[in-house]
Amino acid sequence: MPRNVKSLNGAGFSVSVLVSVGRHPLTARARRADHDARAVEMALSLNDASVQLIHAGDNDTASEEALRGYLGMGVSGVKRIEQASNADVVPALTNILRFAAPQLVLTGTRAETGEGSGLVPYLLAESLGWTVVSGLAEIESIEQGVATVLQALPRGKRRRLQVRLPAIATVDSSAPAARQSAFGPARRGELTDCAYASVIDELQTQWHIQPARKRPKRLKIVKSASARDRFKAAAAKADSGGGQLLSDVTPEQGAEAIFTLLKEEGVLR
Amino acid sequence: MDGKCSAQGWVYSALAEVCRRGPAAKATRDEVSTMLNTLLPILIFTALALAAIGAVRRMRLWRQGRPSPVNLLKGLAAMPRRYLVDLHHVVGRDKMISNTHVATAGGFVAAAVLMILVHGLGIANPLLGGLLLLASTSMFVGSLFVARRRLNPPARLSKGPWMRLPKSLMAFSLGVFLVTLPTVGLLPDGLLEGSGSWLLALVLAGVVAWGLGEMFFGMTWGGPMKHAFAGALHLAFHRRAERFSTKKGGGGRSTGLKALNLNDEAAPLGVEKPADFTWNQLLGFDACVQCGRCEAVCPAFAAGQPLNPKKLIQDMVVGMAGGSDAGYAGSPHPSQGIGGKPVGEHAGSPHGPIVALEGKTLVDADTLWSCTTCRACVEECPMMIEHVDAIVDMRRHLTLERGKTPNKGAEVLDNLIATDNPGGFDPGSRLNWAADLNLPLMADIKQVDVLLWLGDGAFDMRNQRTLRALIKVLRAAEVDFAVLGAEERDSGDVARRLGDEATFQSLAKRNIATLAQYRFLQIVTCDPHSFHVLGNEYGELGGHYEVRHHSTFIAELYDAGRLTFAPWKGGRVTYHDPCYLGRYNGEYEAPRNVLKALGIEVKEMERSGSRSRCCGGGGGAPITDIPGKQRIPDMRMNDIKESGAELVAVGCPQCAAMLEGVVDASAEVRDIAELAADALVERPAGDASGGSRRPAATTMTAEEVIV
Amino acid sequence: MSEIIRRDPRREWIARNRLHPEYANVLADMGGGGGGAVSEWQGPNGAVRKNPRAIGFIGPNGVKRIDRSGLQQGGQSAATTTAARDSRRMVTIDQPAFLVAVVPDMTGGRLSTHDKDLLGLARRLADADAERPGAVVAILFGEHKEAALGEAGIDQVVHLDDNSYAGFAPEACLAALSGVEREMAPRFWLLPDSPLGGSELGRRLAVRLGERPATQVWQVEADAHSETSWRCTARGAAGSVDITRHLPRVVLALAECAEPVSETRHAAQPVALPQPLPDVLGRLKDMGEVAVDPASVSLAEAEFILSAGNGVKDWEGYHRAAQVLGAAKGASRVAVDDGFMARDRQVGASGTWVSARVYVAVGISGAIQHLQGIQSCDKVVTINLDERCDMVKRADLAVIGDAGEILAALVARVERYREQQQENRDAA
Repeated sequence: MPRNVKSLNGAGFSVSVLVSVGRHPLTARARRADHDARAVEMALSLNDASVQLIHAGDNDTASEEALRGYLGMGVSGVKRIEQASNADVVPALTNILRFAAPQLVLTGTRAETGEGSGLVPYLLAESLGWTVVSGLAEIESIEQGVATVLQALPRGKRRRLQVRLPAIATVDSSAPAARQSAFGPARRGELTDCAYASVIDELQTQWHIQPARKRPKRLKIVKSASARDRFKAAAAKADSGGGQLLSDVTPEQGAEAIFTLLKEEGVLR
Repeated sequence: MDGKCSAQGWVYSALAEVCRRGPAAKATRDEVSTMLNTLLPILIFTALALAAIGAVRRMRLWRQGRPSPVNLLKGLAAMPRRYLVDLHHVVGRDKMISNTHVATAGGFVAAAVLMILVHGLGIANPLLGGLLLLASTSMFVGSLFVARRRLNPPARLSKGPWMRLPKSLMAFSLGVFLVTLPTVGLLPDGLLEGSGSWLLALVLAGVVAWGLGEMFFGMTWGGPMKHAFAGALHLAFHRRAERFSTKKGGGGRSTGLKALNLNDEAAPLGVEKPADFTWNQLLGFDACVQCGRCEAVCPAFAAGQPLNPKKLIQDMVVGMAGGSDAGYAGSPHPSQGIGGKPVGEHAGSPHGPIVALEGKTLVDADTLWSCTTCRACVEECPMMIEHVDAIVDMRRHLTLERGKTPNKGAEVLDNLIATDNPGGFDPGSRLNWAADLNLPLMADIKQVDVLLWLGDGAFDMRNQRTLRALIKVLRAAEVDFAVLGAEERDSGDVARRLGDEATFQSLAKRNIATLAQYRFLQIVTCDPHSFHVLGNEYGELGGHYEVRHHSTFIAELYDAGRLTFAPWKGGRVTYHDPCYLGRYNGEYEAPRNVLKALGIEVKEMERSGSRSRCCGGGGGAPITDIPGKQRIPDMRMNDIKESGAELVAVGCPQCAAMLEGVVDASAEVRDIAELAADALVERPAGDASGGSRRPAATTMTAEEVIV
Repeated sequence: MSEIIRRDPRREWIARNRLHPEYANVLADMGGGGGGAVSEWQGPNGAVRKNPRAIGFIGPNGVKRIDRSGLQQGGQSAATTTAARDSRRMVTIDQPAFLVAVVPDMTGGRLSTHDKDLLGLARRLADADAERPGAVVAILFGEHKEAALGEAGIDQVVHLDDNSYAGFAPEACLAALSGVEREMAPRFWLLPDSPLGGSELGRRLAVRLGERPATQVWQVEADAHSETSWRCTARGAAGSVDITRHLPRVVLALAECAEPVSETRHAAQPVALPQPLPDVLGRLKDMGEVAVDPASVSLAEAEFILSAGNGVKDWEGYHRAAQVLGAAKGASRVAVDDGFMARDRQVGASGTWVSARVYVAVGISGAIQHLQGIQSCDKVVTINLDERCDMVKRADLAVIGDAGEILAALVARVERYREQQQENRDAA
């Protein structure tokens, strides 16, 4: 849905979207990152805003394919700052943002590759001295240097915020889904390369990185004096298997059983 | 209807008038003849000249389209045969109309040629005159039948100008007949004498002029007779020349979609505006006779989804010439809730978009997304128009350029890109269902008789039952087979029908590369969509395979004596022809043979074989999910119910899923493979060597592969 | 009964003498007045006494049976746990060697389970060296209703209860935390990595302090080689890798990063910051929450779905139930095809694949396509008329009966529960 965006002095409202190369959770193929694509979608749904996409990262075929995924959404080009794969992209991004000086920067909450700490927007905001706001669900209006936005809270709730611009806002999966990426515009769109010296992230080299292990399921710890109770709790199967079947019950009894289950699962609030 | 009666009445009264006159004014006879003899050539040649101008104009409309390589001379030479054999093969399904058309059209062509000779060039040869009389009589008789058909026309026929066509045909044939009578000297003396003779002559000339106007002028200026002109050229320059039979026989089927050249960045991705069609596609649209056979068989139309193939083709004609669809006189595109989309609100131009970015232009996007690509319209079309090609061309633009695949389309395409299957499942889990079956993998054995293509049904719990059954049958027949396992990808069928040619080609090329690593004699699959794509559409990208549907393969195994079935003990059974097996690949017999081998006597549905009604599962229709009045599978289940069957045999995972999705279904849905697997009995020991039921059937061995 | 404990030396003497003829009766009386002998009691000097003869019951064939499943002793084990709670050790750390600062989310004014896990982690860090224990200091913003701060392992509480921290005020909170850093210089900062809670504040804090935080930490282990003598394992790359690294000063930890404190109680001593905090000029302004219909939450995200199928006749009742339960609405294909529900609400192989924690299917028989779509749901509840249908086989709880009546009863039950909760809240 297009939003009303009135910039202060009639000039086009400029939005930069920081996009990264995503990674499909099942096949690990490079793709447009889900949150970043939603950020692009949000930027494109702003009426009359000039949208610029910025990517900092390494420059191989797989990542080019992924970046073209963003172009396929109908953006004419992506500014690509080539960086070494172990580089810290914050200096490069700070530099280009300071130069481009957009009123609003949108980006995903965290990257799908690398550390994925979600720190980049905060670091950028700190170094540029801009406001940062997280979990945007919608931009309601932008007027006179103040954006009114809806922030997504858990369970579909929303909070209305007013943000003084320029600002960096992150977008997560509560934002509207990204539009389809079409082949034609993706093929036509341009990747403009800009250079910026890579600043190697030294700390990361000391880390030990391995594929995620499955986290152990937490056991219910029974603080019982009796050895039998503790043994029983430790040995009990998590699920007893077959479900419970209540037939020939009054509606009230049935409702009570369901209610108990809902309460146990903590979905009633 | 009134018009027709009065027209007939008028003809009879004119005849009566002619007879009543008798020997009266001899003096004026010659003058009247002379007048007719001068008037007729003028009329004829004016009409021909106008027709020629019209033809040039019409051709310029077609030439707006993109180039398409066609051998013009060869096409023209093949045209009569295409008309007489292939077209009449379609028209001949309705004998009445077929004969009517032969009489009318044959009579007209002969009469037109002879008339030019006799009246136009003045070759007053009595033999030619006699032939002309015969031809016009034949045409007149034909036009009487045309008129009769228009008395109470079925809903699928367009009205409007088409209602005057029988009158025009009569006017032409009768007029020509009457003006020819003097030529052969059959005219009773003194008929054209007397005070009324001038009047009569003028009336005759007028009738002939009307006939000429409709038949020659209207033919190229957009009247109903346009179909003859455009149709003849369409047959000659058809985009799929291989559809037509040749003297050597064969031919007759060309159903694979044509690939887009994605390497050429200048070429449009699909069709955005009418001028993006190739010129012979535009010509094809112009050939439409608006008979509405397509409308009558279209499952989307019947379900009340906003698609009427006939209207769609007429929309393309409107777009090609520019203007609005106000002149359209057939049933409109249906629309949910109300009777149909109002006619006259859509307009377009050759270089304007077909589907609007906002608002309305020529066609609404949901019209294009309603199609199930079942090809029933193409199969029925007497003018050999390729509706499905056109629809997919326009879908390609919507998907590849605009990124507007509706509903779950975008998600499915994203899944295909990221995981090689439409459901977004882990590609490594493609063989999880068969963990206990110990299936041989191509990667391990490299070389095999039969490569079993599982299709995306491998992720679907319902289809896994079919696959298990098929594997049981293959093992019982001791077939040397293997599967690709996790190396298999979606065939690209859904991506292609949804217009995503890029994803289709990407999948296809990777599949072809995978298949190129292995040696096998044939591919067997239980998915007709994969069957069609692998067999008919991979060729253009460099993959040529011998592909068999599992029903064909089971039938062959049975004929070769490698399977023995226990007699059928269940109830009545009907068979639902999958579109991609039947109409796309002409395989109607093998599944029925398997059922026969199982001891089942098939209770045919009213619509079966080449006229089978789609289950609603093709062309990505369940994904784009355009709402209608009712669901297509519900209608099909109703067909099944009417056949009285308690069980419907299917041969396609889509059909099984769609038909099983019908609530309160009257019949059980089973795949042919499941029926075969259930009926399997141990072969008697002595028969193990394989007493072939049909000597011609070949059994293949691994040795043959090595050779 | 009177509160005064009266001793009867004679009965105690009999109870000690197993050979006394009245032994069994006296034991039964002492055991709580119920019929039959007690098997276990506390003797006069505190030792647990057991009567092996009192265990078990006489089976149908006259043979004595002993049931060790514990069914016979339910009442007594409850009594023991009460005793255990009372026995939690009180720990007071007067001279902490260092501080571990924790900023809990305090969702709804109470410590969430995530907060408690995090405090458990903080305790581990603080208590690692028994000689020189650290103290856990919790920084709380705004009003709260939590009574058991000490039980959760908090030694000191910095409670900033000021209007400027009400609602969503990350800038003010950040300024306050900077103040804490200045005044108290904690060795570690722990925040929950929870969406829009500690996740945001923690990142702001880390950036402000110039520390590189570890995010999405789910495991912390002692490591002698590390500068901080701890190492942590954190999720990275959208949860697809584990990063093992030294534990930094600022840690954003996931839920279940450690066991919550259960064996000790702590002082939860309020402390005040010596210096008042400066006012911050906020560039973010909270305009308050916006009501959103839970039914519009996208199905794929929803954690609680009430799904309707062919068996639903009373659609108004269904919609009302979804609203009262606060559940996202789902539908079977049939309900969608029949036009009762929108297409984007369809659950199943041809609709949305859902991953709800609780999926309640009302009047859905469970076509295979539908069951595929709910494969990854934790708990499936069904209300159905046909007890042989596939959905009942899949369900963890199946209630057979009229959907409308049961839903109405459920709505009534939940409303009653809500009222009670409201009363409790008002009372608190």
